Amino acid sequence: MGKHFYSHIIETATLSVELGGMDLSKEERIHLIRLVESNIHHTVLDLILSELSEENKKIFLSHLASEDHDKVWDHLRKNIDNIEEKIKKAAESVKQELHRDIKEVKSK
Amino acid sequence: MLRQKPHYKSLSEKWTARQKNLRERLWSKHRESLEWLVYNSKQLTVGSLGGLLLLAGPSVPFLPTQPPLIASSQVDRNIDKSVFLISDLSRALPNTVRSLTDDEEQKVAEILSRTFGFSVTPELDRKRLNRSYGLIGLEQHLARFPGDHMAIHFDKEEEAKKFYGDGMAPGLGAWGYFVQSREQLTEKDKMREKYYIAVQTFLVPDYNQRVTEYRDFLKFRKMLVINPQNGKAMVVVIGDAGPAERTGKHLGGSPEVMSYLEREDGAKRGPVIYFFIDDPNDIIPLGPIVPKQNAYG
Repeated sequence: MGKHFYSHIIETATLSVELGGMDLSKEERIHLIRLVESNIHHTVLDLILSELSEENKKIFLSHLASEDHDKVWDHLRKNIDNIEEKIKKAAESVKQELHRDIKEVKSK
Repeated sequence: MLRQKPHYKSLSEKWTARQKNLRERLWSKHRESLEWLVYNSKQLTVGSLGGLLLLAGPSVPFLPTQPPLIASSQVDRNIDKSVFLISDLSRALPNTVRSLTDDEEQKVAEILSRTFGFSVTPELDRKRLNRSYGLIGLEQHLARFPGDHMAIHFDKEEEAKKFYGDGMAPGLGAWGYFVQSREQLTEKDKMREKYYIAVQTFLVPDYNQRVTEYRDFLKFRKMLVINPQNGKAMVVVIGDAGPAERTGKHLGGSPEVMSYLEREDGAKRGPVIYFFIDDPNDIIPLGPIVPKQNAYG
């Protein structure tokens, strides 16, 4: 998974492994992994932005854009209760859906 | 061309659609903050494309395979310019889909002319349509010449696969056949049918007093049509009249137009902007168009 501020709490290895076992070219596999990351990224951002005030959203986005992960976490922990758990839960839900999709195409 | 494997195709389509929905939801819920970031990205110390993934434009067949860490100057260049267009239009358009005021039309025309590098206008030669912002519905393919039918309508197999199911309109377009025989059909005629919209000519305020003038003016008139929610734009022609007022729709698009703009008919229908293009020498090609390179600095 690309280096995001939440990369240390969300693993996507199980999805990568599952895609790795399918009949896919290298480019196709990379593209699908990128889509996995993008799906998770949008979900995490939506979760966070939904919990922050307008002013705090801007602070978060500016820390995110400058890739200052420490500041991102400081800001999130200060303004959202149990943020790590919430991110993990949201990402897990996306991953389960993606696993289901893989299972479905494999069964066809 | 390499054949895509069925597993890949299926997953790619599904996950791209999901990504699109997530992005649209994100923008819809947090537009103000995201626009703030777009407008301030040059002032902020932007570190990586990864962090700004949310700004990426509509999905592409293959996302970049380069490592995510790139220089900040590259980031500015890589932020899809359609994001700026979307943002500008969101400020100029009303929250509900209604006829635009003169001021609003002027603002939109300025944005579009600047973005695409040619003159875009709601009024040309003292003629205008009944509106320039409205809900678009799906039209069918048009018969281009006597005897045209679905089995011979497409030049490419992939186009046939994608658009055959939309069928051909039982009647002719408002201007009749494009040409009188298959032999006369040129590439330009094909493009005109492929990239056409139907507008409500019959609702133009002074149409009945100036029928001939309007008919000659509107026939295959070049227009720019944009989905303001994803920034996708296309140069099209007016190829038909419609849809009826009772449908609640304000214009129609060929299957190819609707597909590219990512607009759907029925309950999921959505708005587009449609303005005249002032192209007296007919040099702007029909089809998809992207913002010019230096549109946003």
